[in-house]
Parts: sequence; structure tokens; C-alpha cells
Amino acid sequence: MEHNVQKNGLVNLVAAVGIFIAAFVVTSYVNSLAGQAGSIFLGLGTLVAFAGWFQMRLEENERLEKLEVEELARAKGESTLFETKDAEVFPAQRAREQFEKFFVPGFSVLLLLLEGGGAYLLWRWISKTTSGIAPDRAMPALALFGIFALLLFLVGRFSVTIARLEDRRLLRSGAGFLLAGAYVCFFIALGIAGVEAGFPRVDFWFARALCVLLGLMAAEMIVTLLLEIYRPRVPGKVARPLYESRLVGLLAQPEGLFTTAAQTLDYQFGFKVSETWFFQLLKENVLLLLLAQFAVLVLSTCVVFVDAGEQAVLEHFGRPVATLEAGAHFKLPWPMDKIYRYRTEQIQTFVVGYTSDAQSEMMSTILWSVGHGKEDNFLVGNRAADTVQNDNPDTNGAPKAPPVSLISVSIPVQFQITNVFDWSYQNGDPTNLLQDLATRAVVHYLAGVDLNDVLSSNRLEAAQILCDQIQTAANERRLGAKIIFVGLQDIHPPTKVAEDYEKVVGAFQQMIAKTNTAAAAAISTNLMAGAMAFTTNRVAEATRLQLETSAFARAALFTNQIPAFEAAPSVYEQRTYFQTFADATANARKYILLVTNTQDVLIFDLEDKIREDLLNLNVPSSPNNQSP
Amino acid sequence: MKRNLLTVIIGAVLVVIFALLLFTFQVRRSEDVVVLTFLKPTRNLDQPGLYFKWPWPIQQVYRYDQRIQNFEDRFSENYTADSVTLLTSVYVGWKISDASLFLPKFPGDPSVSVPSAQSKLEGMLRTAKMAVIGKYVLSDFVNADPKALKFDEIEQKIEQYVQAELQTNHYGIQLEFLGFKKIGLPENVTQTVFDRMKSERQKLIAFWQSTGDSEAMKIKSAADSEAAKTIADANATAIRIRAEGEAEAAKTLPILQQNPELANFLLRIDAWKQSLNQRTTLIFDERYPPFDLFSHLPTNSASSNP
Repeated sequence: MEHNVQKNGLVNLVAAVGIFIAAFVVTSYVNSLAGQAGSIFLGLGTLVAFAGWFQMRLEENERLEKLEVEELARAKGESTLFETKDAEVFPAQRAREQFEKFFVPGFSVLLLLLEGGGAYLLWRWISKTTSGIAPDRAMPALALFGIFALLLFLVGRFSVTIARLEDRRLLRSGAGFLLAGAYVCFFIALGIAGVEAGFPRVDFWFARALCVLLGLMAAEMIVTLLLEIYRPRVPGKVARPLYESRLVGLLAQPEGLFTTAAQTLDYQFGFKVSETWFFQLLKENVLLLLLAQFAVLVLSTCVVFVDAGEQAVLEHFGRPVATLEAGAHFKLPWPMDKIYRYRTEQIQTFVVGYTSDAQSEMMSTILWSVGHGKEDNFLVGNRAADTVQNDNPDTNGAPKAPPVSLISVSIPVQFQITNVFDWSYQNGDPTNLLQDLATRAVVHYLAGVDLNDVLSSNRLEAAQILCDQIQTAANERRLGAKIIFVGLQDIHPPTKVAEDYEKVVGAFQQMIAKTNTAAAAAISTNLMAGAMAFTTNRVAEATRLQLETSAFARAALFTNQIPAFEAAPSVYEQRTYFQTFADATANARKYILLVTNTQDVLIFDLEDKIREDLLNLNVPSSPNNQSP
Repeated sequence: MKRNLLTVIIGAVLVVIFALLLFTFQVRRSEDVVVLTFLKPTRNLDQPGLYFKWPWPIQQVYRYDQRIQNFEDRFSENYTADSVTLLTSVYVGWKISDASLFLPKFPGDPSVSVPSAQSKLEGMLRTAKMAVIGKYVLSDFVNADPKALKFDEIEQKIEQYVQAELQTNHYGIQLEFLGFKKIGLPENVTQTVFDRMKSERQKLIAFWQSTGDSEAMKIKSAADSEAAKTIADANATAIRIRAEGEAEAAKTLPILQQNPELANFLLRIDAWKQSLNQRTTLIFDERYPPFDLFSHLPTNSASSNP
């Protein structure tokens, strides 16, 4: 019987090694993240199975050694030789003790490092990697991991039962790893199936879960090592192997959970809950429940809910059989029937010539002269440059600019999927192809127009032409898409020359300002000239009127003065003279020289009076005039 | 016993599932599948459905996408017939027309062989582009006159070149379409284009600035000219009006002629009156009337004598 247990250990080791290598190869083949994590778990199981088998061999050797010694003692009678405990006499026992004292703790520390380091490095690698499961390799890998799970389950289950029945602690550790490995393989297969069923992140999350498991195993090992230091060494009591994981044992035999749970419930409720019919039913039929759960999982794939605005293509063994509209639909279970969903009502958009970035999205004002996002420069015709080149064909070998110009455009294209069959079965990447077709239409259109035309008058026309051209190209390629809108939302010269274009606008405005200023001055000049002319004419009119009026008045007066003059010429003259003198000189200064009055001296100061402040000026004396 | 039966049933179900997964495979409508038996192609399936096979490693299934694959080649430099370096990139639609021909040319797993085929196709494209683009001038690619463009013709010639190459060597690949996705100029040439575009703008700036100055000058000159004419007209009119007044006034002269002596006297008196103003200083002696009255005033001595 002992010999059989050692054989079991060896079988466990061979199974663990074989399936670890096979799982690693298949994982590399299918590129599964969960498979990578599972391979590490299986590798650790291989080490544990090896350690258990080796320790079993040492104990077996010790047992044989003891039997041999006892046989010799019986044959030769009592002798001091066989009573000694010397290591030379019991080398197998000594070897087993040394193994348990040094190798087992060291091996446990190694396991701890592998578990902890594996969990940490694997977590980081999974976070960074972008590769996924190769679709065409998923099915074989799924089947192979299923076989691995089955093999490990059979071998592990047998070993666990043997270990429990015969209380073989050294067999238990490796067997537990094998059984847990079976479940891990099953989960890896489940992850691959999830990816194949259209849930690409399942594999990733399963890999994360396995990383957590490795981390928990490392934590458990730390606790086990710490507790081992303070464990009371009772003579005769066989120690539990340090490398045996209780966590793995729990995973391998989840039915043990029922015992633990029953004890907890019994203690909590104060009566034997574990003896109730429900608990017993649950315990007895756990496998049936799991099978039912699996059946429900399979049946759940028989119902499909297509969202509003979506259409789904139903494939039966790869053959498209129907288009499903929004609502609930029944189908055969996966993988017999599969559906592929497409958002046919949704208006999808891409932009030609422009790639947005976070910084440009924050800009509240979009200027030609300030780069916004990544803008492509398109070649565009330039009639003016073409004319110049034709006029000056030779420029003495100097590098010349081709007679083309560059332009930046941002053209949003909106489309809808109108035929899901064409959209999904005609082209491998229809969205990308539509972008290619749209870009080609833009490149072609811009290459055949003049820069100034497209910048100014032809924008609306261009949008319609592009829309028609893209739709035609999409129809030719049987894309099953309808182009809804093509807009020339941003079309401008490249950023490097945009400032000069703005300066032209500035110069044009300056020209208008100058002509307006001149026009204003002209208006002023003309109006003032008109006013002056008017004034001149009015003054002349007044003068004429005055001349005429005064002449007639004077004539009338003269006619009346003649009789008076003729009546008394001298008196009339004197009177007229004195009246006029009095009137005319009323405000004039008058000086009268009475020359006959010689005794009186009259002095007239006829000079203009000098300002008083000028008379009071202090003139500094010249140094030459100063007396010594 | 019941428990063992359940375990057996679960095991059997799992075995059946795994066996089905190992022994069957599906072909989608969009796929072309080649089954290899001990790495030798033995079946070519292009109709959708469920098929049986021996498990790996006896038989392997290579799946090829039957749909049109499209890719864009690298933005590469070519020389045109008029010695202009032109950067072009084309997008290409291709598909595996015959998987049994394709597989020997590009052996191995499709995830490796298809990109390898695409890479070879890109090499052919580059050769075709170089050969075809070199026969055309820049104005065939970019021209303000759309009728002068030879865009479609160039694309067709590149496509024909690659198609002929594929058919001659039986690659099992068919080129479905091809089109220019990008046309550009090398960076240093682009800079010269920018410089030329700037110079065009500078020319326009100078034009508008000079236009502004000249227009302003013209407007001002016209206004000055108009104003001078207006004033000259006004002055002439004023002179004429004054002359008319003078003429009218002259009509009263015969009346003055009735007594020329009085008329002269009055005219002198008027002239004398008008010549005086407030700042006039007059110096008289006692002989001048009316100040001659001072000479006849009685003196103090005369008044003191009885």
C-alpha cells in the first residue's frame, strides 16, 4: 500500500510536469493572458508535487531502514550497536530530518518568492500588454484546455481521495494543486470561450483574478512561515508540510467549505442548521446545481436582445440566415448560432484632413494662423503660379517652387449603415475603407481646383460634389453605407502662410480706409468750396445792391440838395462841412496849436505810451562800467 | 451510486463538448478555409457551414478572410517626368482569390502569412508607382483645370501594373481597387511653396496698399480741383455781379452832373469822412475852422483893461 502511495506521488508529478509544459505551449500558441497566469500556477504545482514526492521517498527510505534495523536486532539479539541513535547507523532518518529542517523551509521561501514575484510581475505585464487571443486558434486552445482540466481533475480527484482515506499528508499537497489546476484550466478555457463569444476582456479579467490568487497564496505562505516559528513542537506529532497551501486545498475541495460553513451556522444560530433538509439538499446536489448553472448559461445564449437603433446578423454555423431588428429574438445556443451587431441607425462621423487633440479641443477661438489639432496639407491648383511659371520657364537652374499651392481642410463626413450584409461581408474593414474613399475624393477634388476659387466662392459647391463622389465610390465598393453629410467646416491656407493671408485682408481694409478718408476730405473740400463760392456770390450781390441803392439814394439826395446849395452856396457848404466835421471827428483825438498865444507853451507827447513794466526792468551793470 | 452517476453524466457532457470542439469547425461566409492534414493542404472550403476534421496536430485549419482587405502604403517619394519630387500614398483593396494558390506562396499561419502577403504587395506597389509616376508631369496630378488632370488614368495604370504582376506569378491574390490617398511634396519643396505663396500675398498686400494711396490721392486731387473751380466760378460771378452794380450805380451820374461843384464838394466830404476813424489823430492850428474861434477869444490882458 505504501508503495502505491509513492507511485501516486510520481504519477502526480508526471501529470503536473506534462500538463504544465503542454499548457505553456498552448498558451503561447493562443496568446491567452489567463493562460500565462495559469501556467505559472501549474508550474508551482509541479514544484510542490516534486517536493511531496521527494519527501515521500525519504520517509519510505527511513521506514525501510527502520525495518532493516529491527530485523537485524531480532536476528542478533540485544546489542548496544542497535540501540544507538547515531546518524551513521540511521542515515535515511538523518537525511529526512535534514530535509525537513533545511530544505522544506528554504523551498517554502522559494515558493513564496515565486508566488509573490509571479503575481507582481504578471500583474504589471498584463496591464501593459495589448495582444489578445488569436481568433483562429481559440477553438483548438479551448478544447485542449478542456482536456487538461479533465485530466488534472481525474488524477487530482483520485489522489485527493487516496490522501484523505489513508491520511497521506505528503500526497495531499500535490493532489490539491492538481485538482485546483483542473479548475484553473477550466477557467482559462472559459475565458477563451468568452473572448470567442464576443467578450474580449474576459480573458484579461480572468488573468487578473489568477494574479490575485497567486498573491493570496504568497500572503498565506508568509503567515504559515511566521506561525511555524512559534508552533509548539510536540514529540511524536507529525508536522504538516510547510509548502502545503490551505488555500489551494480549499480551492481543490470546495465541498470542505460546507463543513466549515455548517460549523459556523450551527454556532451562530444555536442549533444544528447543518442537519436541516435544505442544507443537506444543497450539500448533496452541489454538482447538480453547478450543472444546472452551466445549462442556464448555455440557454441564456438562446435569447438575443437587439438594442434600438441596432441590427444584428444571425449566423447559423457561419451561414448568415437573418437580419434581426430591435427587440427580443430566439436562436440556437452558442456556438451553433452567433450574432454580430451593427449600429445601423446611429450617425457615424469621421473627419478628413484633421486629427483633433486635447489642446485644440480647449481652444475657444479657431484661427488660421494658430495650429489647431493635426492638420494635413493638401495640394491644390494655383492658376496664378502656373501662369508665372509658363511666362518664366527658365530660372537659371535655381530651385523653383512647383506651380501648386497647399491648403488645410477639415471635412467631417457623416454616414449611416444601410445594408448590414454588404457592410459586414464585402469588406474586411469597411469604416477604414470609407475613410480612404472620402480622403481620395478630397485629394482628387482639391488637385483639380484653383486655390482662390475653393477658398472663396466654390465652398458650398465643393461640399455637394464631394458628397456625391464619396457616395458613388461607396456604392461601387458595395459598402452598404449612405453618406448623409459632407461639410467644409474648415478650409484655409496652411498655418505657416495664414498670417500673410490675413495681412492681405488687412491691406485691403487699409485701402478702403484710405479711400474713405480721402473721400471724407474731398467732401469737406467740396462743401467748403461751395460755401465759399456761395459767400462770395452773396457778398457780390450785397455789394451790387449797396452800390445800386446808395447810388440811387445819393442821386435822390443830390437832387434835393441842389436847391439848398443854389440858395446859399457858401452857407450850405459851411454847414455841411461842420456837420460832417462834427460827426467824423467825434471819436478822433484832436490837437489844436494856438501859435498866436506865445506866452503859453503847450507840449504834446504824441508818442505811444510805453508799458510800465518795461520801464521798471532792472538792467545789470556791465563789469567794464564798475569803478575800481 | 447516485452521486457517481451524476459525476459520470457531467464528465460525459464535458467530454462530448470537448470532442465536438476538437472534431468540428465552422466556416463563416466571410471566410475561405484550408484544411491541412499533417501540414499538407487537403481541403479548400469557401462555403459557410459546419465541417468535421481530425484534431490537432493531425489536421489544422487555416482561415483566410474572403472579404476585401484594404491598407495604405507608406508615403513615398517619386520623381515626375518634369523633375518634381512628389510624395504619394495609395490605398489598396485586395483579397485572397484562391487560398490553395495563396497558401504555398505564403505558408504558415494566416496571422503571419497575410501580413507577409500585404508586405509583398506593398513592395510591388512601390515599384509600380515609381514606374508610372515617372511618366507623368506634375500638372497631371495637380492642375487648376480639372479637365487636364490624369488622376484616374495614373491610378488605373498602377493598378494594371500590380494586377499583371500578381496574375503572372499566381499569388492567389486579386487587386480590387486602388486610389491615391495622399499627394504631397518633400519638406524643403513645401517650404519653397510656402515662400511662393507668401510672396503672392506680399504682392497683393503691396497692391492694396498702393491702390489705397493712389485712390486717396486721386480723390483728394479731384476734390481740390473741384473746389478751386467752384471758387473760381464764384469769384467770376461775384465780379460780374459787382460790375452789374457798378453799371446800375453809374446810371445816377447824370444827376450829379446837374451841379458838378456841389457834387465834387459832397464827394470830397464823403471821402474825408470815410478816411477818419477812431485812431486818427488830428492836429489843428487856430486858423483852421472851426478852431479859428480860438484866435478871436478875448485874452486876459484885454479883459482886464477897461
